[in-house]
Amino acid sequence: MKTDPQAVTEPSPAPRPGGWLGVLTSTDHKRIGLLILGTSLVLLFLMGVLALLMRSQLAQPAEDVFSPQTYNQLFTIHGSGMIYLVMTPFALGLGVYLVPLQIGAPGIAMPRTTLLGYWLYVFGALTILSGFAAPQGAHADGWFSYPPMASSRYSPSVGSDLWVIGVFLAAVGMILIGWTVLWTVLRKRTRGMTMLRMPVFSWSMVATCLMVIGAFPALLAALVMLAVGRVDPSVFTSNVWNIGYQHIFWFYGHPVVYVMFFPYLAAVGEVLAVFSGRRYFAYRGTVLALLTFAALSMSVWGHHMFATGQAANNYYSLTSIALLMPAGIEYFALVGTIMGGRLVFTTPMLFALAFIPQFLIGGLTGIMVGTPVIDYHVTDSYFVVAHLHYVLFAGSAFGLFAAVYYWFPKATGVLLREGLGKLHFWLLVVGTNLTFLPMFGLGYLGMPRRVSSYFTADGFGLLNLLSSCGAAVLAAGMLVFLFNILESLRSRRPAGDDPWHGHTLEWATSSPPPEVNFTPEHPLPPITSNSPLLDLRKRRAAQVAEEQKGRA
Amino acid sequence: MNTFKRHPGWAVTAAWGALNGILVGILALYHEDLLAVMLYVGAAVLVEIAALAVLVSSRRGPREHMRYRVPAGGGAAVPVAAAGLTIAALGFVYGFWLMSLAVPVLAVAAALAVHQGTWRRGPS
Repeated sequence: MKTDPQAVTEPSPAPRPGGWLGVLTSTDHKRIGLLILGTSLVLLFLMGVLALLMRSQLAQPAEDVFSPQTYNQLFTIHGSGMIYLVMTPFALGLGVYLVPLQIGAPGIAMPRTTLLGYWLYVFGALTILSGFAAPQGAHADGWFSYPPMASSRYSPSVGSDLWVIGVFLAAVGMILIGWTVLWTVLRKRTRGMTMLRMPVFSWSMVATCLMVIGAFPALLAALVMLAVGRVDPSVFTSNVWNIGYQHIFWFYGHPVVYVMFFPYLAAVGEVLAVFSGRRYFAYRGTVLALLTFAALSMSVWGHHMFATGQAANNYYSLTSIALLMPAGIEYFALVGTIMGGRLVFTTPMLFALAFIPQFLIGGLTGIMVGTPVIDYHVTDSYFVVAHLHYVLFAGSAFGLFAAVYYWFPKATGVLLREGLGKLHFWLLVVGTNLTFLPMFGLGYLGMPRRVSSYFTADGFGLLNLLSSCGAAVLAAGMLVFLFNILESLRSRRPAGDDPWHGHTLEWATSSPPPEVNFTPEHPLPPITSNSPLLDLRKRRAAQVAEEQKGRA
Repeated sequence: MNTFKRHPGWAVTAAWGALNGILVGILALYHEDLLAVMLYVGAAVLVEIAALAVLVSSRRGPREHMRYRVPAGGGAAVPVAAAGLTIAALGFVYGFWLMSLAVPVLAVAAALAVHQGTWRRGPS
């Protein structure tokens, strides 16, 4: 094998800080990626605690654990945090870590811009959370913060101002990161890495980052509108400003769902291919489906506004239902990948397999709420809460954990414990479905979302109790996950360079990879398809067979 | 057609923006509010500008990278710059006197960037 000259760089001319300062200011894409992933995992635990507090309030009728005002803050920061600070950054953080490795580049394009994106995200998160220390508490108007409710007339807390600033900073950070990842994929591919030889995960980042560039500026515009309205609440007496805000917010608010989905879907695809020992099925169809899905997802935002009566419902319903086509192709590709394969049921594979049926529930109920006649009935009910949690937790978060268990050995050089991983998996499966499945029933029975309490006579008690028990199981599962990470890092079991017999380029280098990713000791293999390492193994196996035949 | 083949990164970005353009056209046929249509047009234009940037870069640079510039320093300036920007943004909440803190912090970040912003180049 020949070493590609681009993989070699000269030693650094200037000394760089070591220790934690070195980590926090590094321009190495792997360190930046790990910072983003680590920060969003810490915030995931924090947002999970907020969810547990909410479920303790709702476990029984007429509970009085928190005041309604505090409950409003809890669900607002939980929802905002999960979307702006956990699932989106984690998805893009995976791209920062993996894309340069997968396309054979020694680094990410514009690494200091990427690092700036990370730090703006961190300061944005701190600003949002600091709202809890404000005299009237944190922001309390939901993650979409509709005016006039979110104007200073009805939400005078400084916590709301801090929320606006914090979300703005985090969103700018995500746009910067999205742009650098996109530029890396489009302009930094190594020799032989054509667009149609890129792994599915890298393609998912193309679609994701295109949505970030196209849709995220709308969030900045919506936040500016809200800030203006907080200075002068009278602007929100105008319908144009109120409905205009909703249009602009949801123009960001729907594509972000797919930003929080595509990278996890692709991670699941890569895991399924590797642990089935098969190539990714319908690769080109999946690439086309990802791009079509992403474009369609830009056009469906108005389905969040069906109930306003001020959106072109027919159009948004049409495009929402049209999403079924690319989604179907992606689903068939996942199923086709494992069909006929020799499945190995490792922890990442279990998470990937569970993703398929669980996300299907989220997707199909999405089609239901994308139909105006059904949406009129269930809008603002727990049905919608169940739907979005099946998409983002039962779906995306399972993809997230598949990714963590799959790439953890590459990033750290250490294997996670399989036994603890499987315990984590089963607790999460039970907890997820016990928490969120009853919410469909609650919505159907008419329980509105964002209420801090309900009466016994409402008949919501049993389903809420089941849901709260499920949340406790989820919490137990997350503690097992935390223990697994800490224990695996404490008593290290070396992973080796390629513990899973991976298909893509990141598995050709050491674990963890060196600073410039590929070195003379770990050179880039010839890139012949989207699974270059699988090709290499097959060629070697063919050579061995040929030699044996010759000897015989 | 040759341009599409030579610059696939541009082609993907531009085609994706164009697909959104088609969807905007259909939205307009459904008599959606002008604000919503213009919002979508703006996003499609933004993507096409990004595609243009990719095209310009592709034409100026190599199709496949043989020489990389990997920044060796300047990272220390970044968290300081982000802190400065955050303080400046907090000025909208707590008053613009915070600019008197933000500006020196941003100046420190600029000084750090200039001091440490060295580059190393991979061999061709």
